[in-house]
Amino acid sequence: MVEYDRTQSPEGADNSAPRICIVGVGGAGSNVVDRITLDRIVDATLVCAHTDVRVLGHSMAPHKIQLGAELMKGIGAGGDPDLGREAALFSREQVREAVEGHDIIFISAGLGGGTGSGAAPVIAEIAKNTGALVLVVATMPFSFEGRRRLAQAEEALELLQKRADALVLFENNRMGELILPKDGIQKAFNQADQLIAQSLRAVSTITTTPGLVKLGLDDLTSALANANGRCLFGFGEARGQNRGVEALKKALKSPLIDSGRLLHQTKNLLVHVAGGESLTLVEVEGVMKQLGRHVPDQTHILFGLGVDAKLGDSIAVTLISSLGLNQLNAHAAAAPPSEMLQPRAEAPTPAPKREAPPIKKAPSPYAPPVEASADLLFKSEEIATITAEAPSSMIEDQTVEQEPEVEEQPVLAQEEPVAEEPSAPVVESIPETARIPVRTPMAKELADAARTGKESTLASVVARSVTLQTEVAPAQDDLISFDEPQQQSATTINATTIIARKSGSDAQQTFSLGEEDRGRFKDTEPSIVQGEDLDVPTWMRLKKKLRR
Amino acid sequence: MAKSTIYAGLEIGTHKICVVVGEAKRDGAIKILGVGQAPSRGVRKGEIVDFEKVQTCVNDALVRAEDRSDVMIRNVFLGVTGAHIESLNNRGRHRLPDDQTEITEDDVEEAKEIARSVSIPQSNVFLHSVTRQYIVDGQEAVRQPIGREGRVLEADYHIIHGVRGRVQNAIRCVREIPLEVEDVVFNPVAAAQVVLTREAKLQGALMIDFGAGTCDYVLYEDGMITASGCVPLGGDHITNDVSMALQIPNGRAERLKVEEGSVLYDEVPEGEMLSIEDDTGLILGEVERAFLNEVMNLRTKEILTQVRVRIEDHLGRLGAGVFLTGGVSLMKGVDVVAREVFGIKVTRAGSAPVSGITATFENPQYSAPIGLIRYAQILDSEKPFLSPLKRLGRRMQELLSSVTL
Repeated sequence: MVEYDRTQSPEGADNSAPRICIVGVGGAGSNVVDRITLDRIVDATLVCAHTDVRVLGHSMAPHKIQLGAELMKGIGAGGDPDLGREAALFSREQVREAVEGHDIIFISAGLGGGTGSGAAPVIAEIAKNTGALVLVVATMPFSFEGRRRLAQAEEALELLQKRADALVLFENNRMGELILPKDGIQKAFNQADQLIAQSLRAVSTITTTPGLVKLGLDDLTSALANANGRCLFGFGEARGQNRGVEALKKALKSPLIDSGRLLHQTKNLLVHVAGGESLTLVEVEGVMKQLGRHVPDQTHILFGLGVDAKLGDSIAVTLISSLGLNQLNAHAAAAPPSEMLQPRAEAPTPAPKREAPPIKKAPSPYAPPVEASADLLFKSEEIATITAEAPSSMIEDQTVEQEPEVEEQPVLAQEEPVAEEPSAPVVESIPETARIPVRTPMAKELADAARTGKESTLASVVARSVTLQTEVAPAQDDLISFDEPQQQSATTINATTIIARKSGSDAQQTFSLGEEDRGRFKDTEPSIVQGEDLDVPTWMRLKKKLRR
Repeated sequence: MAKSTIYAGLEIGTHKICVVVGEAKRDGAIKILGVGQAPSRGVRKGEIVDFEKVQTCVNDALVRAEDRSDVMIRNVFLGVTGAHIESLNNRGRHRLPDDQTEITEDDVEEAKEIARSVSIPQSNVFLHSVTRQYIVDGQEAVRQPIGREGRVLEADYHIIHGVRGRVQNAIRCVREIPLEVEDVVFNPVAAAQVVLTREAKLQGALMIDFGAGTCDYVLYEDGMITASGCVPLGGDHITNDVSMALQIPNGRAERLKVEEGSVLYDEVPEGEMLSIEDDTGLILGEVERAFLNEVMNLRTKEILTQVRVRIEDHLGRLGAGVFLTGGVSLMKGVDVVAREVFGIKVTRAGSAPVSGITATFENPQYSAPIGLIRYAQILDSEKPFLSPLKRLGRRMQELLSSVTL
């Protein structure tokens, strides 16, 4: 099983778990690895490979490989994939050492630059040769990065496709839609990294977690099978009431799916629902029913279901599918005019521009509007000149420089509440009662005996009930006719011994639903909250806690 | 229009059974005509456990109410509660067809339909589904979406559901009296109608109906009902704790609680003793007052904490604070404890002004039954006007459908 824990627990990983390795290649790839390192969402060997020492210096990955140290002298590949390839070939032994001995190897790279496009195929080949399963998660460059980079990316993509077992491809242009136009560029990159990290985690979980309805790599590849396909990925996790639907809603919110609209055209859709032990069939049914509204009837739904105790009381829904680039662009171009009014349409890069190179060769039916819109927003000649004058390494430098500032706070903050457990209500109330002045001599003794404030309160409660018993005792004869349970007095008399024992035994408390404890509620349905029957008097339960 | 309608509300509580007869005027005013009350037997934690005993008690209350109000009661609005009642918020999302930009009535219906198609356990039925708001293209708090331009319409619903059998039992019990049940209302929803003012609802308020059997709550945020539910703990539990701690029978514990008890023990002078008397006035024993108060305090705090746990997420958004009503809210010091638990302003409140017997509406014990009258009035004002003939037709329809139930 894949370690899926937020708090890394080395002892929890058993030997049968597949060994996973994640290699980040180039600037974008190492950002993703950083993100994964910080989030600790996947238990895997994390390797960062780059030609540029500055990037490696910033990287938080535990293993770092400097590609082509002798050749490059620690300077980046400068947007030249050939240099990147050479560098990787120089360092192939180092790479092989790092990735060897893993069952699954993820390679994450941003295509289009020098190191990412050049080295990633080489590393993929090395990884494949170790006999591991190789999955590549790659991003295509932003369209403003120019055609040259796009061409380099496409070239690298071709090479990768031959070597990888599965290819998950993200469109950076669509990533731009993750955020609002007014958000900073750091946030944009941050979000994109986060999304890729999520997808990595999801893919590794899906393919390796034993599920009730298992999904394998075959399902994943068939979901992604699409000529020149781009990955549609959505992930959502939710807890609390209505969690299933909430999780689905979050998954659909992913801009890569465009609020579910893009799902209308997919042929295959992989859906994975995972939950803790409390996952119910009704919830799963609800999720699938809701999803059905977004998916056409003829779509092949690959459904997987997993129960993972680590998820606690939350449900995670993962949607993976792919869509051909043409369809994707057609969708963006054909968006209704009203769509343009939405802030999303203002995102820096409308998708159509991406089509430039393929269109030159064979104009698609969508070409005319595409060309028009491209002219409006960008002059393609200008881009060409810009690329020619200043090699796109500038852009890469930008990404690199941001890196140290990429703060992972938001995500960590999101994860934290999951770990929180609502504290027991009774315990919560205790500090308040700690102010009770101890009144009887016996209680004083007991309170002295108890170390913590909490215990002293309990002690005083118990002690008082003991003293009361003794005080009321003379009147007991008169009270004898009351049908009060006899066991009651026995427990109170025991109180002193209970306190004496309290620190000694740490045996599991056994809670008996003894009817004698519940008084007039003995024939009603118990009100159990967190394993406690709340019908039993509060003071009595406090005392039982004390006995532990 | 000067036309007014007379409604009767019936609350089968754990401590008392109460019938309130009220006159709702068209202008929104309510006049209480009479209240009939009888001590309750055979109810535990807000749910009926002994049909026959309850029916006798309801009859008693009914006769008294009829006497005082001089109205013959045929139909009642029945308030229900119980641990089985739960609530959730659901949002139905409806995307308009591509060739349409204006939201029509059909779209609203569709969104509502989707919102209501939430999966609740099969054995459960909807008690209420209240529209909280509509959301058009992510713009929240739209009251009236029809006619607006938009692409996506969402309907936000608050759904309260309970176990069919248990709700049905209460209805059946009342029908056998015989009384016709016009509608079933979750108690706190009714009580909130008279306890919380519009301003309080807008500012955000939590109303807790602290009754003998259960502690029901409703939470309003921005004028919308956001959470509601029932904690199956109440005044009876306090009594039971006292009875078991002091080893005295329940009846005496109840009297001790009401007459002497308080949930404050900080100011109680040390060693102050209380004498426990039996029915004839003979002194049976003595209890330290601080001890009695402490037992009560522990339980009260626990019950309120249970409520707090359930509404924790919304606690920061309650501008108007907590409103305590119901019988236990009369207990000494309960507001102080509630303040400790919730950390925000706590108000003890009865029903808001209605005319009629003044003593009744000021007493928080009657919040729920008076609320039923108000609820009935609101319900009627929302219904489209029907001619008497149509009204008859609808009644027949209801009658026929109820036979098949």
